[in-house]
Amino acid sequence: MQAMLDDLRVNARRTSFLLLGVLAILFVYISYIQLVESEFLSTNALNRRSIEAAAQIKRGSIVDRNGKVLAFSERGQDDRYERRYPYGPILANIIGYTDIKYGTTGIENSYNGELSGVINPLHFFGPIANLWTAKTGNNVIMTIDTNLEEVAYKALGNRRGAVVALDPKSGAVLAMVSKPGFDPKTLDRDWVTIATDKESRLMNRAVQGLYPPGSTLKVMIAEAALAEKITDTKKTFVCEGSLKIGSDYELTEAHHHAHGKVDLKEALAVSCNITFGTLALELGRDRMAETFTRYGFDRLSGVDLVEMPSRLPDFGHLGDGDLAQTGIGQGSLLVTPLKMAMLAAVFANKGVMMTPYLVGKITDTDGAIIQEVSSKEFLKPTSQELAQTVGKMMVAVVNDGTGSAAGLKGIQVAGKTGTAENPHGASHAWFIGFAPANDPKIAVAVIIENAGAGGEEAAPVAREIFARALR
Amino acid sequence: MSKVSDELKLLVLAGLILLSGLGTVCLAQEKLDIIALAIAAGLSIGWIVVHYVMLRLGRGGDHLLLPVAAALTAIGLVFVFRLKPELFLSQAIWATIGMIALLAASIAGRRIEAWADYKYIWGTVGIILLLATEIFGVDIGGNKNWLIIGPIHLQPSEFAKLFIVLFLAAYLSERRELLAYATKRLGPLVVPHQRVMAPLLAIWGLAMIILALERDFGAAILYFGTALLMTYLASGRYSYLIWGGGMFLAGSLMVYKFYPHVRVRIDIWLNPWSDPNGMAFQIVQSLFALGSGGVMGSGLAYGFPSLIPEVHTDFIFSAIGEELGLLGSGAVMLLYIILVYRAFRVAMVAKSAFDILLAGGLAILLALQVLVIVGGVTKFMPLTGIALPLISYGGSSMVATFILIGMLFAISEAGAGDA
Repeated sequence: MQAMLDDLRVNARRTSFLLLGVLAILFVYISYIQLVESEFLSTNALNRRSIEAAAQIKRGSIVDRNGKVLAFSERGQDDRYERRYPYGPILANIIGYTDIKYGTTGIENSYNGELSGVINPLHFFGPIANLWTAKTGNNVIMTIDTNLEEVAYKALGNRRGAVVALDPKSGAVLAMVSKPGFDPKTLDRDWVTIATDKESRLMNRAVQGLYPPGSTLKVMIAEAALAEKITDTKKTFVCEGSLKIGSDYELTEAHHHAHGKVDLKEALAVSCNITFGTLALELGRDRMAETFTRYGFDRLSGVDLVEMPSRLPDFGHLGDGDLAQTGIGQGSLLVTPLKMAMLAAVFANKGVMMTPYLVGKITDTDGAIIQEVSSKEFLKPTSQELAQTVGKMMVAVVNDGTGSAAGLKGIQVAGKTGTAENPHGASHAWFIGFAPANDPKIAVAVIIENAGAGGEEAAPVAREIFARALR
Repeated sequence: MSKVSDELKLLVLAGLILLSGLGTVCLAQEKLDIIALAIAAGLSIGWIVVHYVMLRLGRGGDHLLLPVAAALTAIGLVFVFRLKPELFLSQAIWATIGMIALLAASIAGRRIEAWADYKYIWGTVGIILLLATEIFGVDIGGNKNWLIIGPIHLQPSEFAKLFIVLFLAAYLSERRELLAYATKRLGPLVVPHQRVMAPLLAIWGLAMIILALERDFGAAILYFGTALLMTYLASGRYSYLIWGGGMFLAGSLMVYKFYPHVRVRIDIWLNPWSDPNGMAFQIVQSLFALGSGGVMGSGLAYGFPSLIPEVHTDFIFSAIGEELGLLGSGAVMLLYIILVYRAFRVAMVAKSAFDILLAGGLAILLALQVLVIVGGVTKFMPLTGIALPLISYGGSSMVATFILIGMLFAISEAGAGDA
């Protein structure tokens, strides 16, 4: 009898091994699903979870420096939150968009953690956080002045180009326009047109557009020549309209116009290529390279947007002709409009280059400040004296030179024009500058693609921006 | 004494799972449900009362059965509250009835040896309960296994399973000599005697009918698997498993070939991605939930399990996997593994053939139920909608499972008492 029961117990043990074994295999299989297959399953296009999650969160608002709401979420159909952009294309390239299908860009992307509330330290506590906070994202307060933004947007008209306006003393970005833009409201509907358009509507030209700086770069060459004592403010140059460099290269003025005897200030005012080509040659490869480094062209500015690095020539292998070209902002050198605005700001801010920033504050739902951005020094490329000297020369550009179209009655404007030759057609029109010259409040860079002369096309745009900002 | 205090501690833990779970859902949804919390507190105290009653009346049964059952019930109640708050009250009532049923079964089970004498009554009742649903059954959510009596919806098949195990345990314990030795040799093969084969063939036929007519692969596995494994348990002969498994496979292939709707189910299982928004919608949504949960889960009440149809009943495991991650789904699996292990342990220390077979049969039934539903919603095997024991919303399954655990407890008492 006992033996029979023992047999049964052995059978029970074996049956238990079998079934517990199968359950253990099932356990391993579930682990496989939740560990290995997890990524495939959670990111599958048919998995509606990310859409549902986004529609449930009241994303924080994006607000300009005067409290104007630039982006906000409101309940639409089925109680789901939808994103609205009241200013449409005017700010589309800076603010970006947040879309389930097409992702997140611009400030919506850079500050996604804040706006969605995921970054909130209380988020870690899950439901317990609901004891203290509401289920909404934080608000992002930008440094942008929407009034200025609208003026710049209008001033560019139907032309392709970009505008960057900075507070030279803090680095705060006051306006940033890229044209052509797109309307975030119809992004879903027009995606194919927007994304495949030859005019690159989704590119924020202000930080991603790479252009030859043309003659606007001459302000930096002037400073370098003075700093390296290659010249002084009194020394004169003789411009005969063209300059033979080596055996096979000839540097020329526009229309072969000879400027005659000019000092550095006059050379900048008339944008004399011969003078600055000569200065670049006298500076030589090493000091030219060092100058670009000094002004931060070898690194990103650190602004809260996806930025393209400048493209510098390989100075070590640069021929004399190309070196002279680089001195007048041509050749293989390519920069972004933001970098040029920062260059102008150096001469407006006693030789100090500030880190540009777009977001000044982050507030919670109740408006209480969570984080405040303080301005930071980016670089100190030159001395206060030299900055002021170059600044005075930039005043002469506007008062007596190529930049007169940027001038304003009652406010002294300083600047430099550029007409950058490029392989894509007519020259790009450039203007960089700041105002008021004695106590600068705003520094700008304007570029209009293939528009022609900077003094005729870009300077008037800058003028409108100065007028609106300083009225 | 230490085992007793262990049980108490574990029951307090189960109560804390319930209360903290409900509290978390309340916080997440920013709605404080005092009544639900009060009910939860009452249930937690109820479990402890059951513990003391069984301690006073009992002779030292298995001390892990009640706490593990309570923990699973607690997880179930938390998820019913999170997924369908309007059903929480009725689920709590069923949990209370289940508690009483467990007590009743553990007390009635004292004379469990005597139950064996009525085996044909149990068998008949089991068949009638199954037939009753066939004849009077109402189709709810695609499964025609509901009986509606006034306000109460019952699934008699949940109870039929218990009666059939009871019948099989009695029948097999009586005939186990015959089973173990009545074999013929057919060349190299060992063939069971026809007198043993007959009942097995009958159950095989029943399983095939369920499979063909009800498209219920899971139920077929459940009944046939239980009968087959209990036959092995009684005889110790692998040949039954091989023959039975072979017959099941052959029968399934036939049904697959001739019944297109069964084929559709199998095809969905083999390749759900061929029709993710149509036939395979449920299983694909279930997999999305599990995958999105990952290791840590979205957090209780922070996931989107409502994207899965029938999430509070058949697919509740996927909701746990989504919101509590692998940590949660793994914990649930471990609790079931512990419960099945303890059930087998009860069988291994039982003092009579009938007790061993009954406890073993109940353990097999429990294990196969978990396998069928958890395996189904994770695409481990073709999907069949049955309840996840103690967790899914539904009274019949909950009460039946508590009775099952009460019976195991009674057998464990008998095993411990005579030692």
